Amino acid sequence: MTAVKLTLDRLTKQYRAGLAPAVDRLDMEVEEGHLVALLGPSGCGKTTTLRMVAGLMDPTAGRIVVDGRDITATPVHERGMGMVFQSYALFPHMDVAANVAFGLQMRRVAKSKQTELVRNALDMVKLGHLASRHPKELSGGQQQRVALARALVVEPTLLLLDEPLSNLDAKLRETMRTEIRSIQRRTGATTLFVTHDQDEALDMADRIAVMNGGLIEQFGTPADIYERPRTRFVADFIGRANLFEASVAAASGTGSKGETVYRIDVPGIGTSEAIGEAGLEGSQRTVLVRPHRVQVELGAQPGGLTGTIENVSYTGDALGYSIRLGDVLLQVERHTADGTIPARGEQATVRWAAEDAYVLPEEVRAP
Amino acid sequence: MTASAPAPFKKRVDGGAMAFRVIVALSYLFLLAPLLIVVVIAFSSNQYLSFPPEGFTLRWFAELPQQAGFMQGLQTSLITASAATLIVLVIGVSAALALDRYDVPGKAALSSFFLSPLLVPTIVIALGLVLVLGPLGLTNTYESIVLGHIGITLPYVVRTTLMSLATSDTSCEEAARVLGANAFTVFRRVTLPIIRPGVIAGGVIAFIVSFDEAVISLFVAESGRPTLPVQILRYVEYSADAAVAALSVVLIVFSAVVVVVVERLMGLKRTLA
Repeated sequence: MTAVKLTLDRLTKQYRAGLAPAVDRLDMEVEEGHLVALLGPSGCGKTTTLRMVAGLMDPTAGRIVVDGRDITATPVHERGMGMVFQSYALFPHMDVAANVAFGLQMRRVAKSKQTELVRNALDMVKLGHLASRHPKELSGGQQQRVALARALVVEPTLLLLDEPLSNLDAKLRETMRTEIRSIQRRTGATTLFVTHDQDEALDMADRIAVMNGGLIEQFGTPADIYERPRTRFVADFIGRANLFEASVAAASGTGSKGETVYRIDVPGIGTSEAIGEAGLEGSQRTVLVRPHRVQVELGAQPGGLTGTIENVSYTGDALGYSIRLGDVLLQVERHTADGTIPARGEQATVRWAAEDAYVLPEEVRAP
Repeated sequence: MTASAPAPFKKRVDGGAMAFRVIVALSYLFLLAPLLIVVVIAFSSNQYLSFPPEGFTLRWFAELPQQAGFMQGLQTSLITASAATLIVLVIGVSAALALDRYDVPGKAALSSFFLSPLLVPTIVIALGLVLVLGPLGLTNTYESIVLGHIGITLPYVVRTTLMSLATSDTSCEEAARVLGANAFTVFRRVTLPIIRPGVIAGGVIAFIVSFDEAVISLFVAESGRPTLPVQILRYVEYSADAAVAALSVVLIVFSAVVVVVVERLMGLKRTLA
């Protein structure tokens, strides 16, 4: 299968004049063979984007380009894509083999060749033995695999997955994640994947596009998105986050990956250090500290920020604290070490390495 | 609450269930009694339509094929009901598809329009048809009956098809399109098989309603193309023997066979649900 490159060029969808666009001048490049996750809360425009790429919905403006060819006006059935729907959308009146063979029939593949390709596709998803079952006789995970085989058997130029795992139970979802990812790698199909589940996106995707209100907030690798979020929305949406405002003072050095280390002043609490892009001195910015990157010591200790423990939650593996520092309620998560569980109301001192706190490049948005 | 309390409680429930069964049985008896009487009379040797029978015979059934009126009416009814059913299926399924799957302007108004014949007394429709078809010289033809029956059976087909469409998953159709099927192939290979129960239920109801309809047929084609119900009406007007009861039994068996066949093929409960 030759992988293709997908380019979205100022792609826009406005359902009704006067309404805010569901997708607003979206630009995106999906490299050959990459799996890109469109991640965001419901209503962020991710499904609309996918449906426009599939051709199930007409864009209001903008272009969809596959390998340099503009397909914006190409009808759905001539796009040669593969799609897995949230509901799987298996044809209830056909058995598994007929479901998988449907796309081949549409392409007028010879009967004997069809049989062979269907068998290979079903073997790939480990369902060869269920070829004569009907969809309603299959479990959710099996239906999901049939849908995947049906989409892949036609060797699509582009594979589109619309929340394919959201109807599975938690355990199966994990298995299918790995399985989809390995099948996608093997076939090399360029893939667009819609999800609202950040774990899924971080685990599976080569690149993640975090969407909000019809716009892409950030497009980058999972590590970029998690470690170096560009906006407060991204920092908050991906993983757990402590976000507070601080004045960025002078740069005090350079981090291990070349970032600038700043002294930051959190009003009413104290000063600490954080890293960020160059040129943020003297500005007011949001700072991100992940709960598990915060060091905590009991009692008031020098060289850190001291506050009061407001709440403790013990979950066996982990110990969660809510520590009050002025206006900020800092969430801290540590692995349990020696079984001591501090009491509420005790004093505690928190500190973090400069590299564990990140100054967001986005200017503080007016509340 | 004492330990003995559940016993009388259970007994009361049984009493209630028994009363319920009796009421249901009586209701069925009330509904079916006329049919039972017709069946008994069909086998009665009485010279005239009367009850109770003095003896039993099959001669009324044997006489049926000699009744030219009945045979001619049966032919007219079969032709018109089949034609009306076929046409109404094409119109009704298309209309239901458009109403459910596409953004047609005035959807609500169109929807009520298609169901409106159910609300208008048939006699009003019949009168209107005579007033329109008469001047055009179209009365007393197959076409006039078919036209009238299309009007009154359309709501059933639209209704049952809409119900099937409403419960079907549109993403199946989208999946077929993505897989390379054009609009017509999607309809033939995916939509139609999925909504088949509703379409068949609509077709069966349309056929039975058309086959059974007397008022419109009487108004638009009484003298030229009398249908079977019209012939039965005429017969009862002028004769009083039990041939008409025998014919009724034949019709009851015919309807029952249709229902049983549909039930066997796909489950009528499912087609109507």
